[in-house]
Order: sequence, then C-alpha cells, then structure tokens
Amino acid sequence: MPHHMPAMNTTVIGRLNPITKIVAVFSLGLSALAWPDFTLGLIVVALLFVVSFMAHIQKDFAKIMFGFGIPVTVMLMFIQGMYSPKNKTVLLDLGFSQLCLEGVLYAAKVVVSLLVFLGSFYIMNKTTYVGSMVAALTAVGLNAKVGYLVLASLNVVPQMQRRMAVIQEAQSARGLDATGGMLSRIKAYIPLLGPVVLSSLTDAQERGMTLETRGFGITGVRQTSYVKVDWNTMDTVANWVLGIVLLAVVVVSILMRIGVIPMLITWGGV
Amino acid sequence: MRIELKGLEHAYSKTDKALDGVDLVLEGSEPVAIIGQNGAGKTTLVKHFNGILRPTGGSVEINGVDINTRSTAEWSREVGYVFQNPDDQLFLESVRKEFEFGPRQIGMDADTIARRVNEVAELTGLSKKLDVHPFDLTPTEKKFCTIGAVIMMDPAAVIFDEPTCGQDRSGNARLKTIIERLRGQGKLCITISHDMKFVTANFSRVIVMCHGTVLLDGSVNEVFAQTDILRRSFITPPPITRVAQGAGLKETVFTVPAFINAITKERNHHG
Repeated sequence: MPHHMPAMNTTVIGRLNPITKIVAVFSLGLSALAWPDFTLGLIVVALLFVVSFMAHIQKDFAKIMFGFGIPVTVMLMFIQGMYSPKNKTVLLDLGFSQLCLEGVLYAAKVVVSLLVFLGSFYIMNKTTYVGSMVAALTAVGLNAKVGYLVLASLNVVPQMQRRMAVIQEAQSARGLDATGGMLSRIKAYIPLLGPVVLSSLTDAQERGMTLETRGFGITGVRQTSYVKVDWNTMDTVANWVLGIVLLAVVVVSILMRIGVIPMLITWGGV
Repeated sequence: MRIELKGLEHAYSKTDKALDGVDLVLEGSEPVAIIGQNGAGKTTLVKHFNGILRPTGGSVEINGVDINTRSTAEWSREVGYVFQNPDDQLFLESVRKEFEFGPRQIGMDADTIARRVNEVAELTGLSKKLDVHPFDLTPTEKKFCTIGAVIMMDPAAVIFDEPTCGQDRSGNARLKTIIERLRGQGKLCITISHDMKFVTANFSRVIVMCHGTVLLDGSVNEVFAQTDILRRSFITPPPITRVAQGAGLKETVFTVPAFINAITKERNHHG
C-alpha cells in the first residue's frame, strides 16, 4: 500500500510561515489566560473555528474541539461549580450540592483557555508539514540536533500508527480476529505492542546512524535546508498583529485587575 | 481453490485508483506469478484475496463465496498471505511459537500442529532454529520463518509478496522446493516478484499488471514472447531470453540449455 506524504495545505493558513503559527499559538493562548474572564477566550475560540474553515479542516477541528470541550466542560463545571472555595452566589440547588456562579465562571475560563491552546495547536499541526516547521525553527537559530529531535518525536506517532496498521493486517492474515467484541480487540492489541515498540526503537537507531553517515554531526558548518520556507508580508503583518494583541490584552488585563478599568463580569475568582 | 475477480476496483482515495477493473480467474494448483513495475497494483490486488483490502468496486469470490461475507481472520484458513517485510509479522519469542500461532488461532488440534511444526521446519530449513528468537535470525531465515508460519496453517492458497527479496542462491532453491511442494499438495501458489529469472524458472502462468489493470495473462512462454508489451510495462525478460529474441530465435527460452537446444534445432532445420 502506498504511504503518501500528507498533502501540503495550500490554503491561506497553510501558507503561513510555521514561526507565525507558533507565535499565534502562544499569543492567543496567553491572551486567553491573561484576560480576567472567559469572554476573550470564547471570542478566540469562535475565531479559531473561522480559521479552521479557511484552512479547510473544519470537520476534524470541530470533532477535536467538541470531543475534548464537552467532557472537560461538564467535569469542570461539576467540580468548580459545586466545590470551589470561592462559591457564594447560588445558581441552582441540586439538593446534595449547590451549583454556584463563581465556580462556573472559573470553570468556563479554564475551559476556553484550554480550548484556545488546543485548537490553535491543532490548526498549526494540521496545516504545517513537520519538515518545514523544523526548517523554519533551525533558520531562526534552533540547533539542528534539537530540530531533529522535534522532527523525530512529532513523526513517531504517525509512524507507529502506520506500522501498527501493517502489523494488524499481517496478524489478521494469520487468523487473529480483531473485529469481534471489546475483549477480543484488546487481546488482539497486546501482541502488536512488542513489534511496534521494538521496531520503532531499531528504526530510530538506524535513522541516527544514517544521519551520521551523511555528516549530520559535523560541527562548525552552517547547514542549509532542503526544505524552503517562505516568509511573506502576511507573516510580518500577522506577527505584528499577534504581538500587539498580546501586549494590549496583558496591559488591559492588568488595568482591570488593579481596578483602573471596570471588569466586564464581576466575580469572585481570579 | 478458485479465486474469481469481476471488475475489481480499488481506490485508496478519490483521485488514486490503484485497481481499475480487473477480471481474473485463478484456479487449480498451477503456480501463478504476478509481475509489473512498482505501483502497478500487484500488492493491492493480492490483498483482496484474503480480504485485507475490500473491493471499492466489482467483486471477489473465493470458491464462490463473496469476500465481504467473512473477516480476514476467517479467510486465513483458506488463503495464507506472506507479507513482504518479515519484521511486520514476527512478534513471538521463538520460531516454534511463530509456527504454532496461526494454527492455534484457527483451531488446529495439538497433535497435528506438533507434526506439522517438524515438517514445515524441515521444508523451510529452520529445524535447528525452532527455539531461536526470530529477532536473532538472519534476514533470509526471518523470511522463511514467516513463510513457514503461514504454511503451518495449511491454507488452500498461499500468497507470497516478493519472496526473493534479499534471498541468496540457496534461498531461491529452497523457495523453488516450497513452491513445488505446494503444487504437489494441490495448493494454489500466487507470487508477486520482480525477479524474472525466478519467475520463468518456477511459474507456468504469468500475469502482467500495469496501472491497475491486467496487461497480459498467459503461459510463461506466451507472456515473455510479447516483447513490445513487456517493454511498455517496463519489464525486462531474463538476459538469455533477450539474447534469444535479439538473435531472432522463434522459440522463447529461459535457460542456457533451452537456448542451446533451440539453436541446434534451428540449425538442423536449415541444414
């Protein structure tokens, strides 16, 4: 079966420089964290949905966001809403416990901050070819060895998945049934682990040796990259905007917290 | 054993059609070789014979039963499949356990398994290595370990994907023995290979694939006589065959003795 390289994402988002995307993850994530309540995070999450549309990955993106967002929201609402020490204002009396406003607001902020990090990281990951990410990072001064480490660790999961699929085929061709119930599935998975882990270790060793034979370890030479990464006007603009947004958010947040600007939502938490 | 394909299609994605309408009947115990350049669809084709891949169009029938009615694990009693890369298949701690794994899965009884282990070990040349860890085998032995593990299950048809890859002369001789033994037992042996010398020496029927379709299908003599079509599908016949064709011999030959024989015959004819 042919193993295809992931197709390059040719949308506006896909063409951004990987550095811009990394800056975006941190700028948006930290902004959501710094802002005293959940409103900014919520706006950013909504924006990320728009971005995922622009990158043509809206379906997978929505799956991740809801798949992670809903259970985490329920869990945090339950824990913080009922048992946060800051709780004062009762929203709902459930009998065994009371759901309170302060905890709910706090939970909402934690959830949206997590979702901003998760969502922006997911978009970055989905729209960036790992090779160009590492090339961009080494271009701005990251050590090539560290770059390889990043590359190798990001590659290991899809590699293992591919290998797992092949081994699974080979095993079902020898009568191992992995299509039955839960138990037979788990039983079928156990023998997979040995070869997958072992072979990924030997693969890593072999790749390391191959790199050495190609002069990867030579010191005192400025290595060039085969992968070309563009820096466009869009990237300059995006980086400036993201930087200014983060700065503005931090300044406004500090002013809100020390009381110079009134908060949008008054609540007990931080 | 009868494998029948009707208009078989397989698409990995919307734009990537690996098989584009294959009609084929594989029957009896006559060994079949499938050849063609990389990406011609050979592996995709044979992965349909035990349901690892399912048709995205057309149908596959094994002894008249649609492939989709059973899982690959269920088909494994009828059709054995030896993968190209041994490292994808071996996962137990000894050759013996590898040999016993498949038959146990399909419920073969212990006595039969014990008897077959010795038989198959001898056939694959691993009699003295039964208690060795597969990771300590040489690449050649690993390959024979995977072949043995599949033959152990006693399927009616065996598929080999590139069995000659990395084999030396004695490995090829052993493969020949295995293919002959399977034929003698009335089993259908289907082999993908790039090694034309191996193909012409061991297989009576040859199927040439190109761009997801069957380009040629016939006896080894018929197929290798079609020099133009072979060239178009980037297949190079064995050197002696090319010499004979280049020299204008009418007969298609694959070995030096056959070549000499053909020359003598033509000379006598002229003289």
